[in-house]
Amino acid sequence: MKQAVILLNPRLLSFRNKGFAKDRSIRLIIFAAIGISFWAGIFAICYRVLMYFQSVEGLGNMLAYKLLSMILLIFFSLLIFSSILTSLSNLYMSKDLTLIHSLPVPSEKIFLAKWIESTIDSSWMVVVYTIPVFISYGIVFETGPFFYMAIVLTLFPLCIIASALSSIMVLVIVIILPASRIRSVFVFLGLALLVIIYITFRLLRPERLVNPENFASLLGYLNNLSTPSYPLLPSTWAFDSLKAALTGDVSCSLFNVALSMSCAAFLIFSGILIAKAIYFKGFSKSQASMTWLFQHKKERLDKLFSFLSGPTKSFVVKEIKTFLRDQAQWSQIFLIGALIVIYIYNFSVLPIEHSPIKTVYLQNLLSFLNVALAAFVLISVTARFAFPSISIEGSAFWIVRSAPIPIRTFLRIKFFIYLFPLLILSEILIIVTNLLLNVTPFMMYLSIITLFFLTPGVVSLGIGLGAAYPDFNSENPAHTVTGFGGLVFMIISAAYIGAVIVLEAGPVYTIFMSGIRNENLSYFQLLWIIGSFFTAFLISMLAIILPIRFGEKRLVAHSFAGL
Amino acid sequence: MINLINLSKYFGHIKAVDRLNLSVSSGELFGFIGQNGAGKTTTIQMIAGLLAPTEGSVIIDGIDMAKEPEKAKKKIGLIPDRPFLYEKLTGMEFLKFTADLYEVSKEVFLENTEKLLTMFSLIDRAHELIESYSHGMKQRLVMSAALLHEPPLIVVDEPMVGLDPRGIKLVTNLFRSLVAKGTTIFMSTHTLRLAEDVCDRIGIINNGKLIATGTVNELKHTAQIGEADLEEVFFQLTKEEISL
Repeated sequence: MKQAVILLNPRLLSFRNKGFAKDRSIRLIIFAAIGISFWAGIFAICYRVLMYFQSVEGLGNMLAYKLLSMILLIFFSLLIFSSILTSLSNLYMSKDLTLIHSLPVPSEKIFLAKWIESTIDSSWMVVVYTIPVFISYGIVFETGPFFYMAIVLTLFPLCIIASALSSIMVLVIVIILPASRIRSVFVFLGLALLVIIYITFRLLRPERLVNPENFASLLGYLNNLSTPSYPLLPSTWAFDSLKAALTGDVSCSLFNVALSMSCAAFLIFSGILIAKAIYFKGFSKSQASMTWLFQHKKERLDKLFSFLSGPTKSFVVKEIKTFLRDQAQWSQIFLIGALIVIYIYNFSVLPIEHSPIKTVYLQNLLSFLNVALAAFVLISVTARFAFPSISIEGSAFWIVRSAPIPIRTFLRIKFFIYLFPLLILSEILIIVTNLLLNVTPFMMYLSIITLFFLTPGVVSLGIGLGAAYPDFNSENPAHTVTGFGGLVFMIISAAYIGAVIVLEAGPVYTIFMSGIRNENLSYFQLLWIIGSFFTAFLISMLAIILPIRFGEKRLVAHSFAGL
Repeated sequence: MINLINLSKYFGHIKAVDRLNLSVSSGELFGFIGQNGAGKTTTIQMIAGLLAPTEGSVIIDGIDMAKEPEKAKKKIGLIPDRPFLYEKLTGMEFLKFTADLYEVSKEVFLENTEKLLTMFSLIDRAHELIESYSHGMKQRLVMSAALLHEPPLIVVDEPMVGLDPRGIKLVTNLFRSLVAKGTTIFMSTHTLRLAEDVCDRIGIINNGKLIATGTVNELKHTAQIGEADLEEVFFQLTKEEISL
């Protein structure tokens, strides 16, 4: 154990040295403020929902318990998902592994140290952001201090179980798959997890909770609410423990905690034994060079981009090839794919016909809000792929600096490479969801045109600010978006989308209402509508042009400063 | 000190090291030379316990690397060609980390750290973050870390990469003095002049096979070259490849 603790020292010391650097204090305060406001927001929403449930006579507690079991199941699925990715990365792909494996430490202790790192990495955020949910349960149910202790006692083994299960799975997969395909594991795991998340959501069918008419009888509805979850699932033990703590049944709660703890301990020891047998073999296999997951036809990309000039074509081809060959990107693509599937699925099950508001109005209102939501999906995808695309050049950035093309062209190449797929993605997203909402043709065209202009603006912000705040030394460039530049990108992009939506909202409402009332628009109204749309267009043009220029200026200064 | 017995390593269908047999005695400075992709780094990684051989075994000071890896690794100080360092640690913190893992006593740690940091001109920057170090400084820090626990065997992959002339001279003298004290050094290099100047014996690897071993004179004899330097011997012995 001592050696495992020593192996964790560099991480702890790095964290300390990183955290106390002087110029980071302001950033830390900003991040803390944002984090706390999210935390408070989750608490407020959950508290309101639970208070609403409590107002439903007879069914209140049952609804609250059903929600709790769903939350814990999702919590457990998310933990498994993030644990698989982090343990694969920490156990087999981390840069320090060559150093660590050359040290006189048994492989099971290396595994233990890396597993502890993975457990913390994969669970801290999920835990931090679900705690307000559990606290709101404690407040609404007016529980004693034992419930809060039960939260810690329940979540701790649940995180351990998820992480231990995931790392055992990863240990075995890496051994089973051919050595040259280790990096492809990311792709397969991503695909499998996409399916798991979708099935979990499909099985839960949360929309049915607020829509009792879908059940054949009241008995069926009640039955659905009170059906116990699968008894062998760790999330069920966590649920039983918290439910017992909510009702004051301490012994039942502790029994379920003990069940979880014993399972966690069993999995840790199994993990260590398995690691002792196969971890080094797997690590040694993973050092082999990769072969292609998909066979590439040589020169196809060169032919496709033959209309471009030599240097431009070379950068375009290099960018596409490196992106497609970086298997870590694939898992992110699948993760985002899963989120988009869930997003679209939610639209397909919206119980619009049960709303007291007139359906046509609601459909169009939702469609308008959908533009904003789709734009926020666009921001997150851009943040994940386009923003780090400059930092991803890493120590190879000298090639760009010494290449016979200006930095501006380099940034424009990046811009167009990310623009086309993101434009296609956002347009598909908006068209599919609008079709599901069955909106009017006017709203459909407006949404399509709005996203047509928003997408290049957001991509340009991603590339421009990614160039303005690069981190060429980052071990994982995808994480640069969590830095100061990423924060600036998020804030400016959100403000930009907010401004466009606000500018369009008034005119859209006027046009829509005049249509419903069958009235003609006045000259003043027409002028106002044209002015608003023109201003939105102007802002979009500025969002496309200015960030790239800003990024170019900063990147050139950065390069010449030799940073 | 080192015994490589029928050592082979395959990466898929590619044979990186092919039935390599080699013995290096204690107190010997052994140079390992070969072209790019010849199998030098793969061999070094197997000696250091970073890669498991597909076939054969690595014996370090009588200890089988496959059976007792921790015990064998304690005997080795590894200096890789592209060292990984924790950039957010200071030089001193990194050395402490290494010392803890090799269970170096506090007294030895303090004594050796000061000696090594002074020798490698890092003493004034020891408490700065590694990310602020130049490439050469990082290389010197890795050497300090490798020597900290006073290993009987030092395995070096391209020792002079990134070092300035003063650094090269320092390392050359250091290697000679360590060998004089009984330390064994297994060094892979592209710098044939260095190998000729400092190594007691040289092994040439080509396409994963050890094609020749011996002193420079013995290699000349093998290559059937009279008065020539190691460069010519190397080209002569690997000429088939070069002519392709």
